[in-house]
Amino acid sequence: MADRIIYLDNNATTQIAPEVLESMMPFLRDQFFNPSSTYPQAKEAARAIESARESVARLVGAGSKSEIIFNGCATEGNNSALWGAVRANPGRRHIITTAVEHPAVLEVVREMERQGYRATYLPVDRQGKIDAADLVRAIGDDTAVVSIMHANNETGVIFPIGSLATLTKKVDPLVVFHTDATQTVGKMRIDLQNDLKDVDILTMSGHKLHAPKGVGAMFVRRGARWRPTQLGGHQERGRRAGTENVASIAALGAAARMLMAHDESIRALKMRDRLESAIKAKVPNLYINGEGAPRLPNTTNIAFEFVEGESILLALNDHGICVSSGSACTSGSLDPSHVLKAMDVPFTAAHGSVRISTSMFTTDDEVDAVIEALPEVIGKLRLISPYWDAAKKGPRENVSVFIQEKYR
Amino acid sequence: MAWDYSEKVLQLFRDAMASKAGTHMGSIESPDGIGSHGSLSCGDALEFAFRVEKNDQDPRLDRIVEARYRTFGCTSAIASSEALCALIEERNLTPVEALKITNADIVDYLDGLPAQKLHCSVMGAEALQAAVADWAGKRGVPLAELGLDTAMLNEDEGRIVCRCFNLTEPFIRRKVKELNLRTIADITNSIKAGGACSACHHEPGGLQDILDDTWGPQESTSEARQEMPQSSSSMTRTPFQLSREIDRVVESEIRPRLKTQGGDLEIVEIRGKKVFCRLIGGCQGCSGAPQTMKLVVEDALKSRVDAELEIVAI
Repeated sequence: MADRIIYLDNNATTQIAPEVLESMMPFLRDQFFNPSSTYPQAKEAARAIESARESVARLVGAGSKSEIIFNGCATEGNNSALWGAVRANPGRRHIITTAVEHPAVLEVVREMERQGYRATYLPVDRQGKIDAADLVRAIGDDTAVVSIMHANNETGVIFPIGSLATLTKKVDPLVVFHTDATQTVGKMRIDLQNDLKDVDILTMSGHKLHAPKGVGAMFVRRGARWRPTQLGGHQERGRRAGTENVASIAALGAAARMLMAHDESIRALKMRDRLESAIKAKVPNLYINGEGAPRLPNTTNIAFEFVEGESILLALNDHGICVSSGSACTSGSLDPSHVLKAMDVPFTAAHGSVRISTSMFTTDDEVDAVIEALPEVIGKLRLISPYWDAAKKGPRENVSVFIQEKYR
Repeated sequence: MAWDYSEKVLQLFRDAMASKAGTHMGSIESPDGIGSHGSLSCGDALEFAFRVEKNDQDPRLDRIVEARYRTFGCTSAIASSEALCALIEERNLTPVEALKITNADIVDYLDGLPAQKLHCSVMGAEALQAAVADWAGKRGVPLAELGLDTAMLNEDEGRIVCRCFNLTEPFIRRKVKELNLRTIADITNSIKAGGACSACHHEPGGLQDILDDTWGPQESTSEARQEMPQSSSSMTRTPFQLSREIDRVVESEIRPRLKTQGGDLEIVEIRGKKVFCRLIGGCQGCSGAPQTMKLVVEDALKSRVDAELEIVAI
């Protein structure tokens, strides 16, 4: 076991930034009051929430801070966005989403199907892109909501949400447009008054941007056709009832201010490109998933042929490196990642995919450590693999005998 | 899901990765028996080979002196392969005796495997059987005498039940009996069948039918599948005439002009008076595309068809 931890799984969760942690502490100690209470002692807690709301509104370019609703996480936000949109459009029974959404959207849409709604899942091409024409064709008389993620959590592929939302409104202004921006908020510029002006609802999570787990936010544009789903209190103007998680909301505000103050995207992009070109130079037979599409600067998803992802993860972890995989064996199911399947990544490679995602805390040294360790791990696993010819540095002659590619 | 492996599994995996002396990873040149199981599409596969000390009098008394594997798969698949080879070498078995090693022996050797990983141990036993059959053929030992189910060798030929993992009916039937699999979840955990798209669970001739055939119909646990009400929206909002007119102008005026520059126009959708379209071919990505859209497409459609049309570029 290695003695240091190299954490490169920041699309799964991030470390709480020290200044963010600091911002929470008063509300876990003396400022424990219920922000709704009338006595003056509670004012500080209420003020902290409003200041956080202001910061989050600025981070996503919202026109008014009252358009920001704090909640528990992006999964809650996605549930609320979808159910709230269909309930506000009772005559409409059709939902459009993509084949590569996070389960927090996909599972909700499947449940809606069980309840009698119809759904369209837009396909993606080999690079993970969707065709805007497919979206236009899919929108029908009774389409209630279109839900398309801003960037994919596994591959980092970015969808052109601004133009897709505008197109949707051109076809039918009454369709609600929702985007799950969990992976993009804090990683790229988001402007809900300009390029994303046609997005009605945007959901995000705190723990992907150096705030703690258990807090998230949703943007609901003023006048959007959406009904609250969690009732029982006046908090968040009745749009998300329940006593506020003051400390975590304060933390989310602090994280938003921190991320606005320094833009990490250029540094992240340099690290990512350096990592990808070094691995490509050292290791044959690999695919960078989504390579031809616009991608998040912090994410790379590499599929290595003829080795299995879970083995890669465990072997990398012996070097102290934490990453994740779209392999079937890591998910507890037997199916490889639905995202890679939708992208038609060959079976020879889908099982051997590794996702590496950096954060503001990632250093060049850590990237060097991966450049050192990953080729070694792949080399050793290929020695073990029955498909690999070490002398030839390529797949074995008779390999086609084994390969049965269902999805090709 | 965090890893839930025994120390033994982790140890064997790490030893194999380090090519530590005493591990069994590798190939054998001109082996006496070789077999494989699994495939890339399954997500794991094993090639198993052995060398014997030949008995000149009776080939059935050949003893396996060297066993080697090459495995594509997760941590537990690699550890299971290591376990299989170690068990065979340790016990100094004949190939026929080696067949008696079960997946339970492998799991014991590994101090247990997580339920979802049981199929890894089965894979080893399957490859072993194939390798022993190969040895029997080479040494002229009649298969029936081995107690080997010869039908097994033709199992690949059967009707495919689980299409995701390419598993045939004869194979699944045999495994259901051998491993005493009583539910669909048992089947999936042990041999993966039904683990992906799950279409084969309840289809005719599918996993439930095989279970019912083998063990008699059990109390049905399958949820009733209901047909979803399908509301068909057949109403077209596009007046047929308008669409015809647009087509005519595109065909006669717009397309010929675009073609001179190697380009073309695709009308994606017409909704009311909105025409959703895009330039393709040579026009795609051209910096003059917005201009072309306006001057060639929009002007022609507005002047020739309807001034109220709105052209929306995709």
